[in-house]
Amino acid sequence: MNSSIVAKEAIEVIAQSIGITNLSPDVSLTLAPDVEYRLREIIQEAIKCMRHSRRTALTAHDVDTALILRNVEPIYGFGSGGDKAPLRFKRAAAAGHKDLYYIDDKDVNFKHVIEAPLPKPPLDTSLTSHWLAIEGVQPAIPENVPIEALGVTSDGKKSDYKDDGLSVDVKPPVKDILSRELQLYFEKVTKLIARRSESAIFKQALLSLATDSGLHPLVPYFTHFIADEVSRNLNNFSLLFAVMRIARSLLQNPYIHIELYLHQLMPSIITCLVAKRLGNRFSDNHWELRNFTANLVALICKRFGHAYHNLQPRIMRTLVHAFLDPTKSLPQHYGSIQGLAALGPSVVRLLILPNLEPYLLLLEQEMLLEKQKNEIKRHEAWRVYGALTRAAGLCMYDRLKMLPGLLTPPSRAIWKSNGRVMTAVSSMTCFNFSFWDTFIHACIYPATGCVNNCLKIPVNACVEMGFLCGYLFFSSMCVFTFIMQVLDLPKNKCLKT
Amino acid sequence: MDEEAVVKFVETYLKKKGFKQAELAFHEEIQQQNNSNNAVNIHSDPDLSTLLHSLSQPEDSPARYQDEYSKLRTWADSSLDLYKHELLRVLYPVFVHCYMDIVAQGHIQDARNFFNSFHEDHETMHLRDLQKLEGVLSPSHLEEMEFAHTLRQSKVNIKICQYSEELMMQYLRKSKSTIILGIVNEHINFQVSPGQPISISDDPDAVTLIGSSQDAANQINKKEIHWGLLEDSLEERFEKTGGFLSDSEKTEGETKEGDMDENKKRSMDGGKQASIKKSKKDKAASATAKAVRLEAHTVPAAPRVKPELPLPVMQAEVEQSILEDLRNRVQLSSATLPSVSFYTFINTHNSLNCSSISHDGSLVAGGFSDSSLKVWDMAKLGQQAGNSILQDENDAAPSEHVSGPNSGKRSYTLFQGHSGPVHSASFSPLGDFVLSSSADTTVRLWSTELNANLVCYKGHNYPVWDVQFSPMGHYFASASHDRTARIWSVDRIQPLRIMAGHLSDVDCVQWHANCNYIATGSSDKTVRLWDVQSGECVRIFIGHRSMILSLAMSPDGRYMASGDEDGTIMMWDLSSGRCISPLMGHHSCVWSLAFSCESSLLASGSADCTVKLWDVTTSTKPAKKEENKSGNTHRMRLLKTLPTKSTPVSTLRFSRRNLLFAAGALSKSQ
Repeated sequence: MNSSIVAKEAIEVIAQSIGITNLSPDVSLTLAPDVEYRLREIIQEAIKCMRHSRRTALTAHDVDTALILRNVEPIYGFGSGGDKAPLRFKRAAAAGHKDLYYIDDKDVNFKHVIEAPLPKPPLDTSLTSHWLAIEGVQPAIPENVPIEALGVTSDGKKSDYKDDGLSVDVKPPVKDILSRELQLYFEKVTKLIARRSESAIFKQALLSLATDSGLHPLVPYFTHFIADEVSRNLNNFSLLFAVMRIARSLLQNPYIHIELYLHQLMPSIITCLVAKRLGNRFSDNHWELRNFTANLVALICKRFGHAYHNLQPRIMRTLVHAFLDPTKSLPQHYGSIQGLAALGPSVVRLLILPNLEPYLLLLEQEMLLEKQKNEIKRHEAWRVYGALTRAAGLCMYDRLKMLPGLLTPPSRAIWKSNGRVMTAVSSMTCFNFSFWDTFIHACIYPATGCVNNCLKIPVNACVEMGFLCGYLFFSSMCVFTFIMQVLDLPKNKCLKT
Repeated sequence: MDEEAVVKFVETYLKKKGFKQAELAFHEEIQQQNNSNNAVNIHSDPDLSTLLHSLSQPEDSPARYQDEYSKLRTWADSSLDLYKHELLRVLYPVFVHCYMDIVAQGHIQDARNFFNSFHEDHETMHLRDLQKLEGVLSPSHLEEMEFAHTLRQSKVNIKICQYSEELMMQYLRKSKSTIILGIVNEHINFQVSPGQPISISDDPDAVTLIGSSQDAANQINKKEIHWGLLEDSLEERFEKTGGFLSDSEKTEGETKEGDMDENKKRSMDGGKQASIKKSKKDKAASATAKAVRLEAHTVPAAPRVKPELPLPVMQAEVEQSILEDLRNRVQLSSATLPSVSFYTFINTHNSLNCSSISHDGSLVAGGFSDSSLKVWDMAKLGQQAGNSILQDENDAAPSEHVSGPNSGKRSYTLFQGHSGPVHSASFSPLGDFVLSSSADTTVRLWSTELNANLVCYKGHNYPVWDVQFSPMGHYFASASHDRTARIWSVDRIQPLRIMAGHLSDVDCVQWHANCNYIATGSSDKTVRLWDVQSGECVRIFIGHRSMILSLAMSPDGRYMASGDEDGTIMMWDLSSGRCISPLMGHHSCVWSLAFSCESSLLASGSADCTVKLWDVTTSTKPAKKEENKSGNTHRMRLLKTLPTKSTPVSTLRFSRRNLLFAAGALSKSQ
């Protein structure tokens, strides 16, 4: 007769297992209830430990802790720590015993254990925070229980969604509703670009794009439109120019977070800067488009360079690649030089000036009349040359600014002399040259050699002197207009002197 | 009945009673009678024969217990509805003592049978007790088990009306249920009240069997306690300045303040106070703040008490920051619920034992079963997250700015020192220290500024389940498996007070807002309130049906909330020691409770993955009006249930600005 849950047979079996064979039935009968009592006691303690570990599932570790609390040696080898599946007792039903349980102890091949790759280290504990409720209302964020699930499952049936845990992120499909007005606006603007990109109304549209605050919903559509148009209409110059203007206006708009779409916008802009061909006619002033786009790139870098550290380096890398690739056409080189120059004097110093000497050797071949018979090619070469001079000039100016006193009264004198040059361009080229030389030597500039070189080559060649002078004038004008812009001096005042 | 039978009865009776000499004498007499053959005429006395009959039966046979108990049960069940619930109330103690009697006589099998046939009646109310009793199977267990031992020695109070009592006694006598009559005499103390029976709404202590006798508890609860708030606390000063501004002109307010300052004897930092107050006034002048504060003042202000402990002096800049928080406090009520910021621990592998949040929510500590304590600085965490996002974008860029102060990889500060699972952690009010208690029987003090262990407090003999810093810092209380709670100060390695009295583990501890009292919750299902100065128990709160896991004291000092293993939360009035209302709603352990700063809301966090917000004001006000009524039917209103995504809520904390912080470990298995 069994009075306790623990059968007296169980006691006998355990006694045998520890080597007591002659246990009298009375003893086992008395022991059985006591064993049950002790078991209950330990489980009770274990539950306490479980509660203090803030758990609702009892683990083998809790039982061990309870045993230690009772000054009993814990049972080793049953730890169910971590995520491992806890030990499961199996019923030996097959052997014909319905109350016999065993632990499934698999045979493990030692070789397999050794050869097995190291398991992944468990992820370290970390902490995240989110708003469970804001003023009593639960926000619909993935960290919270989805609201639909709440509605369906009652309090008692929470397990339904608990099982999913965080593995399933329920994201409602976003239905973007564009208002009728915005749709019309978008249609109008795109039509204008295609048809009448020179009209006054287009200028109005650009202004609106640059200043209106409610355009954010349209930004993805515009970026898509820009990318589309640029890729399709590389030979339609006026359209490209219009599209770039749109891009510029969007960038200027302070209410638009254009940076989210920059990655879509940048390829089109870079294309307009360094594409092989922009427009299909010779008359198309693609140089102007490249200049415009170069400024656009500089604007982007200035505005978002701080937030996205890799933006400018990436652009610079692209441009330098185009610049240093001799297989690329000269307009591409022009675009990249302009782009780099627009990024500032330090970029020029870093990326253009060191490469100037070898580049000029190549460029010289294209510029000389006897070497390059193609008029267009030669023109392009001179264009590139002009861009290089301008870049170098900007760089020089930047250095000049760092030497205090050079730009104040004495610089006035230089302008004066330059003014004289202006009045007598053709006759006083020699003076102009000597002026430049003194100018250059006066500023102790590391790149002097380079710039000198680039100036001397054509001088020594003595070919097409007039053209060169024109270019020199052009480049010096560039430098000085820039100086004037920077110093905010009225142009007429300068010219008057 | 023939003569031989009578002789036999007498014989067995004598044998049973152990009257050996009498038995011998009886035998001799019988033999003499047989010799002389003059028989006694027993038949002439039928009463004597029945008496002998009843006495001769093996008196305490288990079958009789079963028989009499089942009869009583059916009788009580079929009695008049009006008296039924009172009569049923008697059944549980009778059942328990019947069972223990059977066990004491050594009839294990019968005890088991008896238990199995009747325990279902009481399971809804007394599941935990029954589970304990079920294991008791031998007389030695009865002696050993404290619960059973105390039950045997103490009497149960049962409130019952006069008529019910008469009915019951009459029935017991008539049916000759002598065993049950004996039990009732021995273990039940009827508190007979004249007139109508008590209404059915359960008076919880009427049905609870506790170890300590009820009378003692009542006696203790008569002691006076000063539940008022500390005088001259920052809050008080802040409120007063606000109040002055609202009802009087500035200058007047200043003169009054001047008086006040004189009254206060803290002359040492009087100058500082004045300057603080001026700055305070400038900012606190917003109209909305005034309106809200006026509203708040309609509640009678809590009385003020002096601190019984020497309290640390607060530094001026700390005072400033607290005042800043008070100014920015959101007033919460049933209409304006708090915002809840939830900190989720991930990848804990079920090893998170406890968590704690500092008062401003900037630090979060987690105690783990691998003996470690980890502290996260939420401000730094935000920065690092930002950095990582950047790094994701510039994949090629070198990562120079990852490293925190301690390590390149970890997002937390690891405190190692304990040699057992960490069961509790508590931040000091300023967040510069953190205390942790562990199963290695020690409490350790860590500095969050130095990231080092400062002190190890050894004193408890068993695992320390809980540790709590006092609201003013410097002092702390610990609760342990060794059935004591202890008060310590951070600068001494010996405890200042030892609170002994609980009959089982002390599971949780909490300070009263005025630092003069601590409350302890225990596995003996009671909550006790102790006077810190004298170390005496001043209140015993009886009513929970399972182990108490969490405690919270209202900042206004009036109320206490306690949460237990079954998901029941009870609101207690400290001055009367009575339960205001039980809060039903959770269906698993209530790990954490927190009152909002103006004591208008109670938040509870549970293992059922919810945070619930309860309205304190609606429940307590009517209760106060009808205090004399015995049964108050007012239930506290559940305002909101906020479910989490499979994250049991282990900690809650209202910041000084009334933002609610909650923390828990994501667990997929549960």
